[in-house]
Amino acid sequence: MPDKNSSDTNDLQGLLSWNPIRFIRKKQQASLAWRLIFVAGLWALVSLVVAGAILVALFREAGEKALDERLEVHMTAIVSALAAEGDQQNPALRRIGDPRFNMPLSGWYWTVQRGGKVLFESESLFGDTLRLQNMKGELELKQNVTGPAGRDLRLLQKRIQFGGLQPVTIAVAGSTRELGESTASFAWQAAITLGVLGLGLVAAIFLQVRFGLRPLTELQESLGRVRQGKEEEVQEDLPKELKPLAVELNALIHSNREVVEHSRTQVGNLAHALKTPLSVITNEARSSDEPLALKVSEQADLMRGQVQHYLEKARMAAQRRVIGVSCEAAPVVSRMARAMEKIHRDKEPEITVDMDETLLFRGEQQDLEEILGNLLDNACKWCDKKVSVTLKNNNSSASLIALIVEDDGPGLGAEEKKRALRRGQRLDETVPGTGLGLSIIVDIAGIYGGSFELGDSELGGLKATVILPSLTI
Amino acid sequence: MRMLIVEDDRDLNRQLSEALEDAGYVVDKAYDGEEGHFLGDTEPYDAVILDLGLPQMDGLSVLERWRRDGHSMPVLILTARDRWSDKVAGIDAGADDYVAKPFHMEEVLARVRALVRRAAGLASNEISIGDIVLDTKAGKVTKNGMSVKLTSHEFRLLSYLMHHKGRVISRTELVEHLYDQDFDRDSNTIEVFVGRLRKKFGSSLIETVRGLGYRLQEENA
Repeated sequence: MPDKNSSDTNDLQGLLSWNPIRFIRKKQQASLAWRLIFVAGLWALVSLVVAGAILVALFREAGEKALDERLEVHMTAIVSALAAEGDQQNPALRRIGDPRFNMPLSGWYWTVQRGGKVLFESESLFGDTLRLQNMKGELELKQNVTGPAGRDLRLLQKRIQFGGLQPVTIAVAGSTRELGESTASFAWQAAITLGVLGLGLVAAIFLQVRFGLRPLTELQESLGRVRQGKEEEVQEDLPKELKPLAVELNALIHSNREVVEHSRTQVGNLAHALKTPLSVITNEARSSDEPLALKVSEQADLMRGQVQHYLEKARMAAQRRVIGVSCEAAPVVSRMARAMEKIHRDKEPEITVDMDETLLFRGEQQDLEEILGNLLDNACKWCDKKVSVTLKNNNSSASLIALIVEDDGPGLGAEEKKRALRRGQRLDETVPGTGLGLSIIVDIAGIYGGSFELGDSELGGLKATVILPSLTI
Repeated sequence: MRMLIVEDDRDLNRQLSEALEDAGYVVDKAYDGEEGHFLGDTEPYDAVILDLGLPQMDGLSVLERWRRDGHSMPVLILTARDRWSDKVAGIDAGADDYVAKPFHMEEVLARVRALVRRAAGLASNEISIGDIVLDTKAGKVTKNGMSVKLTSHEFRLLSYLMHHKGRVISRTELVEHLYDQDFDRDSNTIEVFVGRLRKKFGSSLIETVRGLGYRLQEENA
């Protein structure tokens, strides 16, 4: 016994927490196209994101390198000025390249310190100090720091000894704001460019998959048309990977038809082979009153019933596998009506036919004939004078045919209607027949997924309605 | 009434012919399609019982050929293939009725009677002329309600004349329809039986039309 509660719980969990893996698995099962698009799209997305990240990192690195070089140039200028002028008032230091060193809190600063005491510093510090970093014995240090007014700075710091004097520490710092801004701007542009590229790639993948898988769709549609009976076989005009499949499918369809045809012939032959001797035995036995003859007669009748029953079963089994057949319904109706007029000519029933000439029955003509033959034969046997046949589209669905046969005979009571549909039931033994007719209709309609019911006709008698699949073109 | 049975199963053929002979018909037998076709093509039958599954030539082809050549005798087909498509194919080929195997002899006899009756344009199993009534179903004849005993030959002759009452029927036609193909056609048996019938039912019942044949006179009976 499956645990219903646990499966309910699973469903609930599934609803509450969306599981991407399960979702993907589900989608993968659902469609080959989706699988291809998903995998290719995922790959494109990952590679574009990684490419974007690498580009931005490279851009930033190049920017930092340029900034470092600039700081290095300023450092060299400060060192040369100090070397030329010494610790005294140093006019050369005032002239150091960049005007931003003179603008208050511009983000560009330098300072020269000895033993924690500021010897010189840029005017841009505007009274603030550029805090030096612990060099831990190193002579040079490059670092990102937070400077005056909380701005992010790139710091180049060197310790230099002039002559026998105590070493000085020189620090030059430049704002990284411009670098950050230009990196962000670059990242944004790269994202847009790569995003557009990504969309283009996905669209291309989509088109590629659609185009690549189109023959599969065509094969599917072609097979669908065969199943509906619109075409005899699957189209074989396909790419070389799929062509063998189509050829094999057609071979299968043909062999299926042959098997059905063959088993039908065999069933027919068996019928002929069994029924003739049965006729002989039956008639021989009925011509005598001996107890043996009576027994033989009784058993032969049983055999006759069994033969009929199993032949019918064999026929039904053979039919079940037939695909891709259809027939025009109207000519069958006309033909059967004509035949009935001849068969029941003593009674001269008035058979009126009202039909939609365009309807196609999705199945074997023989089966439609069997249904109609049994219905019309019953109607002609039991009618007073009038029999009517209506063939039309079923009200509820255009893909179904409604076949209605009515008569003006005595009709059947509710209980009799139920009994009439059971195999071998003959409501009146005085009218010739095997009693198989109506149950055969139930079986055939069942095979085609249709239905059969008995009701009361406005003509006064029985109304038999059979619903069968139709083919709409 | 002369019948042709075309059935390849010898036992069934024998049973059918015995039953038909018992019912007062004259019967010719054929055991394959070609023989059956030849007989139906050359001999005048009042009805034919034709099996569809035959050696040499199948029943449907035999029937189609007969109809194409203008033979209109009623044909009852026997078929083991009892789907409606098979039955209707038979009817379309020109059969007048069908019986599906296995069958009871009574059913075949009833169908044959109906075919013969219909071919003669009669509506019921009883044919009457004045006070003479012939019951084709029971194989009995009554005059004024009293049963009249007839030999099988007398019955056949009266039955044929009554099925075609009012029409002049030649001696040749009577011979052809009352005797099988082996009968000596020059013998004067017909005259003998006409004489016996006149004795039993009155001389005015059967009129001799000189040089042409006999006629059953309805008004004179």
